[in-house]
Amino acid sequence: MNDLTSIQSASQAPETARAAGAGAVLRRIVESRPLTLLVLNVALCVVMTIFYPSNFMTEANIAAVLLNAAQAGILVVGMMILMIGGAFDLSIGSTLALAGVVAGALVGWMGYPAEIGLLGGVAAGAVAGLFNGLIVTRIGINPLIATLATLSIYRGLTQLIGASGVTPISNDFKFYGQVRFLGLQSPFWAMLIVVVVGGWAVARTKLFRKYYYIGGNPRAAQLSGIDVNRLMLGAFVLMGALAGLAGVLAAARLNSAVVSAGIGVELSVITATVLGGASLKGGEGSILGGILGVLFIALVQNAMIINGIGVFWQGIIIGLVLLLAVSLDRFKRGHRA
Amino acid sequence: MTPRIEVRDIHKHFAGVHALAGVDFSVAPGEIHALLGENGAGKSTLSKIIAGVYAADRGEIFLDGQAVEDLTEAKAGRLGIGIVHQEGSLVDQLSVSENIFSGRQPTGFLGQIDRRKLRQWSSDLLGQLGLDVDPDARVADLPTALRQVVEIAKALSHRPKLLILDEPTAALTLNETAALFSVVRKLAAQGVAVVYVSHRLAEIFELCNKVTVLKDGYLVGTFAVADTDTDRLIRLMVGRELHFAREPATRSPGEVLIEARSVASGPAVRDASVTVRRGEIVCLAGLVGCGRTELCEVLFGARRREAGSIVFKGRQFSPTSPARAIASGIGMVCEDRKQGGLFLDRDIAENVAVTVLDGVSNGPLVSRQKMDALAQNYVRALDIAAPSVRTQVSNLSGGNQQKVLLAKWLAVEPDLLIVDEPTRGVDVGARSEIYRLLRELAAKGVGLLVVSSDLPEVLALADRIVVMADGCTVGEMAGDEADEVGILRLATRGSRIGTEIMEPAR
Repeated sequence: MNDLTSIQSASQAPETARAAGAGAVLRRIVESRPLTLLVLNVALCVVMTIFYPSNFMTEANIAAVLLNAAQAGILVVGMMILMIGGAFDLSIGSTLALAGVVAGALVGWMGYPAEIGLLGGVAAGAVAGLFNGLIVTRIGINPLIATLATLSIYRGLTQLIGASGVTPISNDFKFYGQVRFLGLQSPFWAMLIVVVVGGWAVARTKLFRKYYYIGGNPRAAQLSGIDVNRLMLGAFVLMGALAGLAGVLAAARLNSAVVSAGIGVELSVITATVLGGASLKGGEGSILGGILGVLFIALVQNAMIINGIGVFWQGIIIGLVLLLAVSLDRFKRGHRA
Repeated sequence: MTPRIEVRDIHKHFAGVHALAGVDFSVAPGEIHALLGENGAGKSTLSKIIAGVYAADRGEIFLDGQAVEDLTEAKAGRLGIGIVHQEGSLVDQLSVSENIFSGRQPTGFLGQIDRRKLRQWSSDLLGQLGLDVDPDARVADLPTALRQVVEIAKALSHRPKLLILDEPTAALTLNETAALFSVVRKLAAQGVAVVYVSHRLAEIFELCNKVTVLKDGYLVGTFAVADTDTDRLIRLMVGRELHFAREPATRSPGEVLIEARSVASGPAVRDASVTVRRGEIVCLAGLVGCGRTELCEVLFGARRREAGSIVFKGRQFSPTSPARAIASGIGMVCEDRKQGGLFLDRDIAENVAVTVLDGVSNGPLVSRQKMDALAQNYVRALDIAAPSVRTQVSNLSGGNQQKVLLAKWLAVEPDLLIVDEPTRGVDVGARSEIYRLLRELAAKGVGLLVVSSDLPEVLALADRIVVMADGCTVGEMAGDEADEVGILRLATRGSRIGTEIMEPAR
């Protein structure tokens, strides 16, 4: 129907045709979540550059935004894969802190080399993820409840091991969190690698495409020969390992393992993931969408700091955009059905 | 007499498909009016528009002569239009009576639910349907057939002026069907208008006064049932003559492909043995709940085997997962395509390729081109009606969805294909195509194990029939020597659910 009217109006008046063309472009943008986010991000950058030319588009500020996005950017890859498969992980903030403390204890207290600390932290994260995955896939406990429980368990474990934290860890260890390349600190580069590899894998590889089937219809996936439990277990381990990576990088950046690291990070990462096109019932989303969601949140935070409106508005704006994006989706679907 | 419901010039599009193209339709009070057509003809769409589930793109709706605007499900309910859907609208966790009277439970003076009254109302209503269902039973604990009955009871509880029944007997036994028919007749006698959507021609002749035939979204015509006959209706629906006559077996079965001996699994399968040869179609017949599906799941590795042995292609075979079974050359088209079969939110190509992701990949990378090409082959071979292989499966009609499900398993090129209810919710046209397809597969040397509740289907397809009762295989007969009476006799022998009779030929 819309196509028909646009053809008719095109023959009648060129101006309306242009308007209809703009409508079609707008529809394309709204149809694709990554495209919507890309447009929003670019618009935000343009507006900020116009209004705050001396504050926003500076090397230091951009580096700060990207560094700020690095942690959530690493985590969003794991969370997106879980959510495509129809699960999620609330324990990542605690896992992150646990990994930092394990790395800090290995290097700062026991004197192992920095590399052992890094690997140990990531491994601790992977084990935490494995435990989550086993609870969900073997016992069959809902991910919400399972990871709500481990959120509490891992935080307690962190406090048990780390007491009041490990400060300082060591200069060798610090190097891995603070080394710069092309003016950007290592966490950004770690995120870039994780996002590019993860984005490619999820978009193209046989292994990761299977998560879309699992999230779409787990029983049909199982009966089609997909080992649902093993793959979901793998996704939880990957999530844990990525939380571990984020944790050791955070500890290295500060040269300090803090037991309260990552509190509340799960909610902002899930926000970015849903913003990026994931749905709680699974089967939808992309890494590209997820990372654009993370960047959007980082940009909004940065904009708020620069124009001095205040941190309270951050939450309000991010929440409103999330609601708007998901509502648009509902609206779109309602029309299709 | 003013029609109870009248629609004029109804149009509806779905994702580029013209589902209804200017249909007129009316039902008088007290009339039982059948809606008939092939898959994708627009029957379900029309009934959902009348029930306010979908909004028509264009057209008018009149109820008792009054124009109705902006019809929604809630409004339709208030106006006295009731619909029984093909698929569940029940809440599994609640009791039968809570489902029937959901939102309208009788309450006491403090607003608390009057459970005694609720139970009384429900058992009265179920009694009318001739059913002995405990109103306090949880819906989750009921077998499929009874759930369908609860759906019908729920629609009736609204005391509708117009009742729409969309394939109500698909999961019912003969007794339940007969009880349903008598209720429908009683309602019609009271002046309720009934729209009856069904593929089963015999039911239409038994129950309905009028029949409207749709084809590809167009109205073919409306006829008095008394003035027409089966052949004519089939010709109108599909434009060709169809018969499900048994085809003389021209193929000769080869070596033994699979041999299951005294297999047991839980309470459902107690002692079942079955053999399938290459190029042979073996039908598993039996009452609903006799363990047919569960036996298939054991062979497919989707259910644990607790006793007995399976020999597949000459070797001991113990599949621990469907993945193993598929890798060994077994496919299984499951009974419920929406729950265990298809990925409704994904497109045709992704659905077809899911079982053969290795085959459509270059190394670890999935190739979208290979996927589409593979699906394109099957869309052509199975004559699946869809704008493209990238069409989302939820936009297809039931028959086309069933073909996509078959395509997904044909893509595996299995040695043994298990097909559980090959034509459930599929119309006559697609049905004969599916039969042809299954026979072609057998002719190519594939062994087929077909489960079906439809006896004419069993008789039309089977080279050999294995009958199950109460978790055990109780007998076996050659396809060309079997008849319905013989199968039923075996299926009900010594069965604890002997009162339930399989659906005979109509």
